Amino acid sequence: MGILILLAAGLLVLPLKNNSKQLDPEVLMWDIVQPTRYVSTDEVAKMIIEHDPLLVMVDVRSAEDFQLFSLTNAINFPLDSLALDDAKSALTFNKRNMVFYSNDDLKSDQAWVIAKRLGLKNIYVLKGGLNRWIQTIIQPEAPAETASEAEFNLYAFRQGASQYFTGGSISIDQSPQAEIVVSRKKKAKAAEGGC
Amino acid sequence: MHVHELNPKKTMVTMIIFVIVIIIGLVTLSKPRLNYAITPEETVMLAGSEEGFFYPYELEDILDKTIDTIVLVDIRNTFQFGRGHIPGAENISAVELISKENIKRLEALKDAGQVVLIYGNNLVEANGPYMLLRQIGFDNVKVLMGGYSYYNVWKDKLGDSYSDDSYFIGNAQYDYAEVAKGSSVSNNDNGAPEPKANVAVERKKKNKAVEGGC
Repeated sequence: MGILILLAAGLLVLPLKNNSKQLDPEVLMWDIVQPTRYVSTDEVAKMIIEHDPLLVMVDVRSAEDFQLFSLTNAINFPLDSLALDDAKSALTFNKRNMVFYSNDDLKSDQAWVIAKRLGLKNIYVLKGGLNRWIQTIIQPEAPAETASEAEFNLYAFRQGASQYFTGGSISIDQSPQAEIVVSRKKKAKAAEGGC
Repeated sequence: MHVHELNPKKTMVTMIIFVIVIIIGLVTLSKPRLNYAITPEETVMLAGSEEGFFYPYELEDILDKTIDTIVLVDIRNTFQFGRGHIPGAENISAVELISKENIKRLEALKDAGQVVLIYGNNLVEANGPYMLLRQIGFDNVKVLMGGYSYYNVWKDKLGDSYSDDSYFIGNAQYDYAEVAKGSSVSNNDNGAPEPKANVAVERKKKNKAVEGGC
C-alpha cells in the first residue's frame, strides 16, 4: 500500500521534467541576457590550431557563401534550415561545443536564440564573426609601442595564427618583442636647482 | 492468500488515496507562465526580415513628438542608463520586461496599438530580447538599429543618418576567400584593412512626418 502511494506521489514530480521539448520562454530570456555564449576569435583560433576534439564550428551563412570560404572543418547550417525537423538531431553532438558564426554576430546570434529554444545545448556564438576573424587573426594589427606585454603576446599569437591559417612562412625575426622600448620616468635629482 | 482479500476496507482506502494524489498532481501540473505564440519556423522568418527593425532617423519623429504611438524602452543597466539615454526612454531590463506586471502592460500597449521600441548599446544586444518578445506574441515590439551608441554619435543630426550606412550590420566587410588566401597578406603587414566591400543596402523610404500643407 505504501508503495502505491509513493508511486502516485512520484507522478507529482514527473510533469515538471516532461514538458522540456522547447525551452520555457522565461528561461530563454535569462539565457539571452547572459554574455557567456560569446567566444572570442582568439579562443576559437587557439582551439582550431590545437585540434580541440570538442569543437564544432557551425557556419550559419548561405551555402554559396560557405562554398567560397569557411573556417577549418566548419559545417554549414544556414539559418533558414535551422528550424527544420531534422536540424535538432543533425546538430546534437554528444557533449561537443558548437560555435555559430556568420559575417558578424547578428545572424549567428539569431541562430543561437532559435537553437536554444529548440533545446540544443553547448552552443556558442563567435563574437564579431568572420569580419573580426579577418581583423584579428588573419590581419592582426600591431599594438602601439606603449602597449602592455600581454598585448604584445597576443599580437605574437595572432601573427602565428595568421601564418597557420593563411599558410604563409614564418619569419621569426619579425617578432615584435624585440622592439619593446621601455620608457621609464627620468630619475629626478633629489636636490635640484634652488637659487 | 492476499492480504487485501482479508481486508477489503484497507484496499479501498489505498485506492482512494491513490486517486486523490493523482488528481492533486494534475491540478498542480506546472504550466509555463509564458508560451510561444509563433513556431520556430516563423521565428526563422522573423530573423530573416527587417520588419521589426527601427531606423535611427525615424527617432526624430519620436523626439519632436510628431509621433506619440511609440514607447521607448532602454534595456541597458541602470548605470549606463544614468550616464545617458534617449530622451523619454524608460529603463526596464530585458528580464524585467517579462515580469508579470510588465507582460500585462505590454498586452495593454499592444491592444492600444502602441509600438514598444527597445534598444541596447547596439543592435545585437537588444536583438535577442526583441526576438523573444516577438516569439511570445508581442508583434508590436521593434528594435532600434545601431542602438544607443549609434544614437549618441548622431543625436544632433539624426535626420542626416538617413544617408549613412554604418548601422547596417550583418554584411561581409571583406572578400574572405581572397583575404584568407594569404597572398595579399605579407609578413610585415600592418593590418591595413581591405577596402570595404561595396554592399548595396536597401532601406525603407523615409516618409516625412509633416508633409505638404498649404
